[in-house]
Amino acid sequence: MKQANQAAQTATYPGIQVRAVPKATRRGQAKWLHLPALAYMIVLTQIPFLLAVWFSLHSWNLLLPAQGFPFVGLANYINTFTGDPNFWPIMGHTLELVVGAITLALVGGTVLALLLNRPIWGRNVLRGLATIPFLVTPSVMALLWKDLFLSPSSGIVDWALHLVGFPAVPWFSSFPLGSVTFIVAWEWTPFVMLVILAGLQSIPDEVMEAAQVDGAGAFATFWRIVFPLLRKPYEIALLFGTIFIFQTFGEIYLTTSGGPGIDTNTLPYYTYRTALFSFQIGQAATLGVIGVVVAILAARGMLRLMTERTASERS
Amino acid sequence: MGYTHKWSQSFWTGLTYILVLLLVFPVLWMVITGFKTEVAAIAIPPTLLFQPTLDQFLLAINSGFGAYLFNSAVASLVSTAIALVLGIPAAYSMVFQMRKKSSDDMLFFVLSTRFMPFAAILVPLYVIITRLNLLDNLFTLIIVYTAMNLPLIIWMARSYFMDLPKEVLEGAWLDGCSTFQTIVSVVVPMAAPGLAAAALLSIIFAWNDFFFAVSLTYTNAPTLPIMVAVFTSNEGLFLAKVSALATLIMLVPVAVGIYAQKHLVRGLTGGALK
Repeated sequence: MKQANQAAQTATYPGIQVRAVPKATRRGQAKWLHLPALAYMIVLTQIPFLLAVWFSLHSWNLLLPAQGFPFVGLANYINTFTGDPNFWPIMGHTLELVVGAITLALVGGTVLALLLNRPIWGRNVLRGLATIPFLVTPSVMALLWKDLFLSPSSGIVDWALHLVGFPAVPWFSSFPLGSVTFIVAWEWTPFVMLVILAGLQSIPDEVMEAAQVDGAGAFATFWRIVFPLLRKPYEIALLFGTIFIFQTFGEIYLTTSGGPGIDTNTLPYYTYRTALFSFQIGQAATLGVIGVVVAILAARGMLRLMTERTASERS
Repeated sequence: MGYTHKWSQSFWTGLTYILVLLLVFPVLWMVITGFKTEVAAIAIPPTLLFQPTLDQFLLAINSGFGAYLFNSAVASLVSTAIALVLGIPAAYSMVFQMRKKSSDDMLFFVLSTRFMPFAAILVPLYVIITRLNLLDNLFTLIIVYTAMNLPLIIWMARSYFMDLPKEVLEGAWLDGCSTFQTIVSVVVPMAAPGLAAAALLSIIFAWNDFFFAVSLTYTNAPTLPIMVAVFTSNEGLFLAKVSALATLIMLVPVAVGIYAQKHLVRGLTGGALK
């Protein structure tokens, strides 16, 4: 595509090799500029990952040094999939958290984006305010959700429920995963809002005007015209939201610590616990590798979206 | 018809104000609680009219806030600076030097390092860091945060560099500027707003991190989010004091994020959306 483009340019200005000079200069330029960054990322992420794969093929418990570091092949994986009674429930919690939080955030973010896309007094201030839940330190905010809002004794939510005649609910013991999901959704709603707003702003006014001239109602306009045009923003919100929500950690650590039981353990949290509390390095590495496989699949989808843009802009 | 129209417009406008207020209410209530006394903070029904006091903020600051603040500030600023130094040349190379295929391969690599669950690399990192005797060291935190933010810097810088007019760059090349000169005197100044936004986002991510801070630090290098965790587990439930402390911690990311708001979407999505 690029070559075809250059050929076309040369054809337009025959004899004048506009691009030839910089091309030649460019060729002489330093070509190693990306290497320091590449090396840094390899040392800090790829080598540790390969080590994780290596560890996952061994039995290694820091609390049992006499046991050593024996090679066990795929035993850790087999044990995780078939022998560990916690693994599949934890995968279920992970899925529930990610799907629940991203769904809530998508709905909330869409509503906010549509409302804040209207001409309204103080719109920029409102947009700024609505961004705040995404910016606040997640672990710290989760702690405040727990003690200041959702606590059955001092929480303002339970006080409000009491006002309208409902009994106090011990949110984090009755609905531990639901409470964590809610907090995570609250944090990610502004992100979806920002992405959808960016998408809405790229829809030409004529499209909206045409829809209104045709007498389409607000709902029909959104569902039949706006929504299909927002396909890409939604894909992006979904992918980014999923990948980052999958990594939720501080919110769990500071509210439920994964409990009661294992009810709010997710795959990354369980990996952390297995490594730094049980010191079963081999088993934890196995969980980590499984997590990476899940994440890589998501990253592939994201790359497809981003290079689509590259292709269209460079041509 | 006109009347109905006007009425429904006001309805949507009213709803917008209410929803935004509900969304930020938790943060607002936290800030308000920070100005209360402990007794007023746990009072049910909640007190709205009270004598505001700065006592809780002073208490929070006098509980060792400075040391945590120092760690947070150094970790996020230094890691962001290193990530910029490494990331800007890499993005330059991806946009202006590499073939599309290699550039896309590099982008995929960059993305996959950021999307890799941190928990996966924590296990080997923890082992290596322990062996090197670098556990609970601010230097370690800086190294890890640099790795965490380098992909973000690269994909944001890449997105902004792609929008630079090629003619200016070709002019610099024709004038015989070295690559270093081109980057420092042409590319960086022209992409300055985007790069600044990238740096700010990177600071937010490092500042807000809890995972690495709680895993890799104990007493020498803990950051502000750890202070809150230690604070609540050691001292029980002091709602007003914790709220004041939390307010202080969140000032930085909220201020920085709102300042860079226009660039948030583009930054996080690597220019897939503008």
